[in-house]
Amino acid sequence: MSKVLKIIPDNCTGCMRCEVACSYMQTGVYQPSKSVIRVSPFERHTSYSPYTCFQCEEAWCLSACPVEAITISPVGAKVVIENQCVGCKLCTIACPYGTIFYDVDTHKAFKCDLCGGSPACADACPTAAIQWVDEKVKDWQGDFAAERGKVHVISLSSV
Amino acid sequence: MSKKRHVIVGGGTAGLNAITTIREYDKGDSEIILVADEWPYSRMVLPYYLGQSISESHVFTATAPRLAQLGVQFVRSEGQTGTAGPLGPDFVRRTASGIDTKNNLLQLDDGSSIKYDNLLIATGSSPTRPPIPGANGDNIYSQWTIDDSRGVLQHINPGQEVAMIGAGFISFTILNSVLSHGVKLHIIEIMPQVLPRMIDKEGAEIVEKLLRERGVKIHTGVSVKEIQDVGSQKKLVMDGTDDLIVDLVIMGTGIKPNLDWLDGSGIEIDQGIIVDNHLRSNIPNVYAAGDVAQGQELITGTKEVHAIEPTAVQHGRVVGANMTGRDIAYNGSLLMNILDVQDLDVASFGTWNVPEAEVSVAYNANNNTYRKLVWDDDRIIGGIILGPARGIWTTNDIGMLKGLVQSQVKLGPWKKYLQENLWDIKRPFVANHVTSSLLSVTTLDHPTIPAREISATTTDNESSDKEGDVVD
Repeated sequence: MSKVLKIIPDNCTGCMRCEVACSYMQTGVYQPSKSVIRVSPFERHTSYSPYTCFQCEEAWCLSACPVEAITISPVGAKVVIENQCVGCKLCTIACPYGTIFYDVDTHKAFKCDLCGGSPACADACPTAAIQWVDEKVKDWQGDFAAERGKVHVISLSSV
Repeated sequence: MSKKRHVIVGGGTAGLNAITTIREYDKGDSEIILVADEWPYSRMVLPYYLGQSISESHVFTATAPRLAQLGVQFVRSEGQTGTAGPLGPDFVRRTASGIDTKNNLLQLDDGSSIKYDNLLIATGSSPTRPPIPGANGDNIYSQWTIDDSRGVLQHINPGQEVAMIGAGFISFTILNSVLSHGVKLHIIEIMPQVLPRMIDKEGAEIVEKLLRERGVKIHTGVSVKEIQDVGSQKKLVMDGTDDLIVDLVIMGTGIKPNLDWLDGSGIEIDQGIIVDNHLRSNIPNVYAAGDVAQGQELITGTKEVHAIEPTAVQHGRVVGANMTGRDIAYNGSLLMNILDVQDLDVASFGTWNVPEAEVSVAYNANNNTYRKLVWDDDRIIGGIILGPARGIWTTNDIGMLKGLVQSQVKLGPWKKYLQENLWDIKRPFVANHVTSSLLSVTTLDHPTIPAREISATTTDNESSDKEGDVVD
């Protein structure tokens, strides 16, 4: 079994250190807008969860690419080969998780590459909400978000 | 015992994905013969060649060494010299002219035939031109083949007036590239809006407004009656607006599947070749994939032709597996398209155009952002998203909308929430366990392997004496 980024939403404080670390590791700048892990608020900003690529088995982005510009790295990450990517965005509509992005400055797709096996987000997380562990990937956020939705979103909107 | 022979007609996305998948399963333990009238290249990539952001060599999807590595043979025939090109001298442009399904023979345009055990028809589509005088004159290019791109590149110059006839997806894929050459562009569309088969009127108005701001002249609801030569220029005689004098004409007036050569073959054809969920035609050892296949649609379950790249990929993979004897059922293709129009993302999914369906829309004029969700009870069966490509949530939400449509998850009480909060797709997506329902899905019976890691690894002990099998 290869290692995965395990997300434990209950541990997340919304400090955004993962986004900052990710953007720095990926692009060399401290700019959350370039991060490929995204923290979202729940319960009106009283709880949070990071969300990033699941490195899914189907690899929708990879098979959709018309120029074989996406491959699988030794640590099991689906990675964009930058000089092969032409920027057609087909991967962004193929991925049903919304976790492959397009950089308007470089005209290339970009996504989580697990930092080559030492994910900066997990290193940076002070509360172990993001862990780099041997486990089977799963829907880490679903139950958390459903529970938070039940209390706030659903009850409010159904009034 | 001789190896099973797969004959693939067409070297486009569907054909190449089928070839790779056959090798993924059989590791080289079969003969594969590719019959193609063009070198395999990616049409999706041509716009970037046209915009000169990539070189011509980047366009080709399978070089001669790559196809050799996959153990793919080409049709050769007596007296033919291969066209020089990336596939080398072995490659002969050959057009399939018919099928004798009783004797398992594929007939070629030079009168020869090839015996097959399994045949894949993946002949794609061709561009169509309107039946008007002058439509086939000089300096009028479709935007379909690499030769078309070469032609446009040869003749396009800064400051020119360029007319694009037809404002559909194909035309729009090259829009940024054409504008990057510094030309004055006219877009002519017979329907009352641009992109009539990809987005609704509201979305099209945003696109049109943006393009007008960039100096593009948009002529909708009008048609070209005739194209005349005026010196080195072209005069477009118009119906519904003033005539235009332009330097270059690009035609994007639709495509049609290449099926004429199958007349009389006994293969069942409607809009395309009718295939079952294993991509098999009414003839058990004849398969079809990509633009020529009329196969299962994901949401409605009806049989549709989806002439789009993602469907060609999936068809190719599923059919390749089934041709090797696997039993892979395809659950259907989802219509989807994305365009970058001058840094505006324009995307649509599924059945977004159902006149009687319940819809939710949101619009923000300040940043050209528009969303439409189309409902069947509490499931999203289609949608449209327009938003700035620079906005990080545009791409995120495009993907998640795809996930919602693809998974057909029932949103229950979250439907109301989403209707009131169309900018917040993420929370309903996450809270309804869409991820769970997607993670368990693979198209084949195992995790996807990158094509570049697949080759024909078994040693070929038999000499591939296919010349001997060619029947005259």
